[in-house]
Amino acid sequence: MYIVLFSMVTCLSTCYCLIDDGKNEKHCGPLKQWFESTSVSVEIGKKGFHREVVTTVELSPDVVAEVNVLLIYRWPRGVYLDPYQLAAESDQRDWQILLNSDIDLEVPAHKTSGFVTYVYPTLDGPSPRLLKVTIPIHGRYSEPSFIGKTFTSVNIEPPELLLRTEKCMQLNNLDPHNVMDAPCTADNSSTCSWVKIQCQQEHAPVSFQFPVGDRTLVMPVCGGTLLVTVICCVALSKYMWKHHI
Amino acid sequence: AQLQKHVLYTTSFAIRLALVAYGDYQDRTMAVKYTDIDYHVFTDAARFITEGQSPYNRSTYRYTPLLAWLLTPNIYLSMVFGKILFIVCDVLSGLLIYRILCLRGLGSEVSSCTTARRVSSLWLLNPLPMGVSSRGNAESVMAALVLGTLLCLEGRCLMRASILYGLSVHMKIYPVTYALPIALSLRTFIRFIGSFLNTELFLFASVAGGVFCMLTALFYYMYGWQFLYETYLYHLTRRDIRHNFSPYFYMLYLTADGAWSQWLGLAAFLPQLILLLVASWAFHPDLAFSCFLHTAIFVSFNKVCTSQYFLWYLCLLPVVIPHLSLSLNQGVGLLLLWFAGQVILFFVLHLNTTSDMHRVYKIVIKSAGWKMMHLIPLYALMCSGC
Repeated sequence: MYIVLFSMVTCLSTCYCLIDDGKNEKHCGPLKQWFESTSVSVEIGKKGFHREVVTTVELSPDVVAEVNVLLIYRWPRGVYLDPYQLAAESDQRDWQILLNSDIDLEVPAHKTSGFVTYVYPTLDGPSPRLLKVTIPIHGRYSEPSFIGKTFTSVNIEPPELLLRTEKCMQLNNLDPHNVMDAPCTADNSSTCSWVKIQCQQEHAPVSFQFPVGDRTLVMPVCGGTLLVTVICCVALSKYMWKHHI
Repeated sequence: AQLQKHVLYTTSFAIRLALVAYGDYQDRTMAVKYTDIDYHVFTDAARFITEGQSPYNRSTYRYTPLLAWLLTPNIYLSMVFGKILFIVCDVLSGLLIYRILCLRGLGSEVSSCTTARRVSSLWLLNPLPMGVSSRGNAESVMAALVLGTLLCLEGRCLMRASILYGLSVHMKIYPVTYALPIALSLRTFIRFIGSFLNTELFLFASVAGGVFCMLTALFYYMYGWQFLYETYLYHLTRRDIRHNFSPYFYMLYLTADGAWSQWLGLAAFLPQLILLLVASWAFHPDLAFSCFLHTAIFVSFNKVCTSQYFLWYLCLLPVVIPHLSLSLNQGVGLLLLWFAGQVILFFVLHLNTTSDMHRVYKIVIKSAGWKMMHLIPLYALMCSGC
């Protein structure tokens, strides 16, 4: 009796698992296909110390509407994002951002380190397969050059593209290198498993330059500045004394 | 004359109000925003206060908590409240200039007030303060406090003057340099040391010091060491290499991490101190002129200078203009020279923020040029100051 009952339970649970695996395969299967036909490209807009990083994500035509998209940016120490500016402009854009750490807006590049941001674009725009994210960035002052360089380069890596769907819960069948944990949403209240998409075309990092001071000029600059200051100070003091009331 | 005065104030206020309305339109529709970034800093700090937190949780908020308290209606009522407050202070500054000029006397009573009205219109109808206050910069509050102090001193209302002076030093520390010319002007003429020992000076020093210490103690109790550091100490020890138009900028940038950076800071401070002492002694009988020179010297020789600093002495210029022995041509020439300096400043600033030109060297050139543009008019004003 017990043997029959045990066999029935085993059989039912096996059937349920097969049905569940079938559903999972149905929802997770497309994720594997999306690896091949998705691309991420990055361009730099504007000039000077205040620029924009424009990221264009072209999703595979097979991507379903319920998919969630995450872009992970690893920013170098030469630039920063202003969290207050991002918060103030949040109603003018269709993506949300999560910063992994506090950002000091004033510290020079050589006294800080890079940081990571999680960007969550929404797919309900006019062309949901083509996402465009424009992030305002600002250059930090860099340490003066000891070898007479007048510019320093900053390289911005293209972001990592991650996808997940609410229905595909089990990602065991995917390559473990392609699955990573990251915050589910920009409010950072929970962590989800995301599928990292290896784009067909690997884009090189974009590079731009910021000016730096020339440390080799330190003596003439200090001497000249102090000399002009002393001359101005003496001249003004002399005339104030002469024309005193 | 009374009607003309009212028309002048109403027009000045209406223009500023229109600029605030335009600013709102530009902010909503254009990429380049009209509102000053500092206004958002003030508003964020005010928001922290409404949430029961410290205003210093807003990074880069380096002002008295009083300002954030004043702007809490930005959160409760409307974002435009602070701008209205600043333009009211701006127009009030024009009224204070008029009252100071009337008190200082410029001929007969009727002609004196007519000249005072014309000269105060140099401030009231000046596009520079109009733009600054309508963009949400708080400098007009300082202008009103400093001019209020001078008006009360001219009118010998020492109690009110000392309260306003204590408040203005609390709001921003630069008027602390006026202490010496004020003390010299309140002396009684006996022996040098003994001349400083009189009731008026004691009253002024104790009330102004009391107001300053009371506000400092209150905010220290509320916000602790962070308040002291951000409001006072940061400004004293500041070696800012960002957004700095001081002639010392490049020197401080190149030596920022060097062992002799502190000594260079001291070397830059000495000329400023010497000039402030000489200006106090040479011009203290004319307190307004002395304060004007103090501010101009402080700004021109400071290690840090940002674009709104020139408003600190610009608000005192109309008060001293009628007493200068400059001809009209000389005055216009100096004004043009000063404007040329500002135009160069803003032009290069614009290039720096929008193009890839070598920012550091441009700032050096600009700083040197700006210093010259500043010092030549200053030099000429000193010569004609009596």
